[in-house]
Amino acid sequence: MKRLLMLLVLVLALPLSAMAADKVVYFYNWSEYLPEKVLEQFTEETGIKVIYTTYDSNEAMYAKLKLLDGGGYDLAVPSTYYVNKMRNEGLLHKIDHSKLSNYTNLDPKLLNRPFDPDNGYSVPYLWGSTGIAVNTAEIDPNKVTAWADLWNPEFKGQVLLTNDVREVFHMALRTLGYPGNATDPEQIRQAYEKLVTLMPNVRVFNSDSPKLPYLGGEVNTGMIWNGEAYAAEQENPAIKYVYPKEGVILWLDSLVIPKNAKNVDNAMALINFLLRPEIGQFISEEIGYASPNLASVKRLDEAVRNNRTVYPTAEDLVNAEFQVDIGDAITVYEKYWEKLKAGR
Amino acid sequence: MRDKSLFKFLTIGLLALWLGIFVLIPNLMIVVTSFLQRSEEHFVDVLFTVENYRKLFDPVYFGVFAHSTLLALVATLLCLLIGYPFAYRLARLTTRWRPVLLVLVIIPFWTNSLIRTYAIKTILATKGLLNTVLLALGLIDAPLRLLYTSSAVTVGMVYVLLPFMILPLYAVIEKLDSSQIEAASDLGASRLQAFIRVVIPLTLPGIIAGSLLVFLPALGMFYIADLLGGAKDLLIGNFIKNQFLDARDWPFGSAASVTMTLAMAVILLAYYRSIRRLNSGGI
Repeated sequence: MKRLLMLLVLVLALPLSAMAADKVVYFYNWSEYLPEKVLEQFTEETGIKVIYTTYDSNEAMYAKLKLLDGGGYDLAVPSTYYVNKMRNEGLLHKIDHSKLSNYTNLDPKLLNRPFDPDNGYSVPYLWGSTGIAVNTAEIDPNKVTAWADLWNPEFKGQVLLTNDVREVFHMALRTLGYPGNATDPEQIRQAYEKLVTLMPNVRVFNSDSPKLPYLGGEVNTGMIWNGEAYAAEQENPAIKYVYPKEGVILWLDSLVIPKNAKNVDNAMALINFLLRPEIGQFISEEIGYASPNLASVKRLDEAVRNNRTVYPTAEDLVNAEFQVDIGDAITVYEKYWEKLKAGR
Repeated sequence: MRDKSLFKFLTIGLLALWLGIFVLIPNLMIVVTSFLQRSEEHFVDVLFTVENYRKLFDPVYFGVFAHSTLLALVATLLCLLIGYPFAYRLARLTTRWRPVLLVLVIIPFWTNSLIRTYAIKTILATKGLLNTVLLALGLIDAPLRLLYTSSAVTVGMVYVLLPFMILPLYAVIEKLDSSQIEAASDLGASRLQAFIRVVIPLTLPGIIAGSLLVFLPALGMFYIADLLGGAKDLLIGNFIKNQFLDARDWPFGSAASVTMTLAMAVILLAYYRSIRRLNSGGI
């Protein structure tokens, strides 16, 4: 839904903002993924105005950038598998690390990954996971330790799934013991069959803000992003984040500059600003996702750094899997996703 | 005289230009796209195919269409059942109260229907207004699960679309000649008979117009199903949106969109025909 609103806002806002001040940067980011204060401080220091718009899925962001042929925006934040895809299609602008004085702050473990060797086109922004949330006031937490537990008939009409085809199938594929990024149509079909049996438990699909149905008491368990779980727990301590046995879904979102961006220098200035130790620290503490910035992690408040929801331990990450680009297999996923939702 | 024709030329010309650029051309583009092939790289490849239309007959997609139609029909029927008595009473009220009530019917239009749908969401939520009140009154012991059900979707649709039913009904009922109803009862008709054989046929144009005004938008209102139904149902609107934004299968989405437009055109055509027949038969 937000997507539609966002489209409207865009259509209305673009011509207006184009007329405004000369020093601008068009930043296209996930919703609820950056505290407003950060942008205010950036504008204050540099005089560069940030035109900020948001999206709620990689697909929406990609379709927009593809349609504008890599123009229209100066900065976007795709997940790993979309960085890969956009890089291969020549949609991204090369990033010169020598112009980023804070680049060395980044965790080498999260750099030079297969989706973008040498990080020639992307700079890690935040990373996180999709796991399980349990409202311990309603459900005994010992009953939910694995993805497979969501199928428990006791949870009829109490489960939330994210409205994201890749994540939901990733979860089902893992319960069947298959890789979460499967491209084999037979494995995807089996995951679909498995999901059909989960539908009686499903109360809502939500990717706008999955924490809200938990806080509102509509659902008691299901999928959630760790940052949303972190925020939910602060409001209602009974809501706990669980790393499922079959392995949590990992993702890393990176800053990229689209090929035909008009304000490349301003975008670079913003990237370097976001890589500052104190800014990365502030973002991680506010938003509840893990920073790839080692200098930021060092400065973190003890409570956040030791919070397993935000910064998982090695034990939590057993079997964890990053999402990768699956190419044309996405049409197979989409077909079964539609079938799943139309099948009621 | 020349001035007048210039004025006519300008106004009609501007309108034609506007409609041409923003309605005709985009629609033609969609019709053309629906006969092309999907391409991972360029969205669309210029190769002719009817595969997109053939795919629509897949039972899955047929189910999507059937489900959307059923939901829209239920909403239309409920709107009619609620709207007819309301419009009838409204038209029979004194001239002092009528404008007040009419304004009350129209006021919701001042707020965007999306925002009103969010408002319904907060009312129906487990910890929402309705449950809080019912609990406080002691009518229920545990909160009712109202949100994210198909009844919530129906309630939302009826609420948002009801004025579209009431207004055309009010327009015809207001013009209803009461002497004809009196004549019916003079000739021995009971009130029910007079209603069925006189009032309903005379207000039929309003019933048809109201039903169309509710049914057609109801087919496309996917956001109500998303927000109040928990995005569990795939309706035509979501389906087309998904094809364009998520699956990036523009030709298939276009084919679905064209099919829906054609279906609506057929319904509207049937409407104009029936109205013409009613009018010529009535005289």
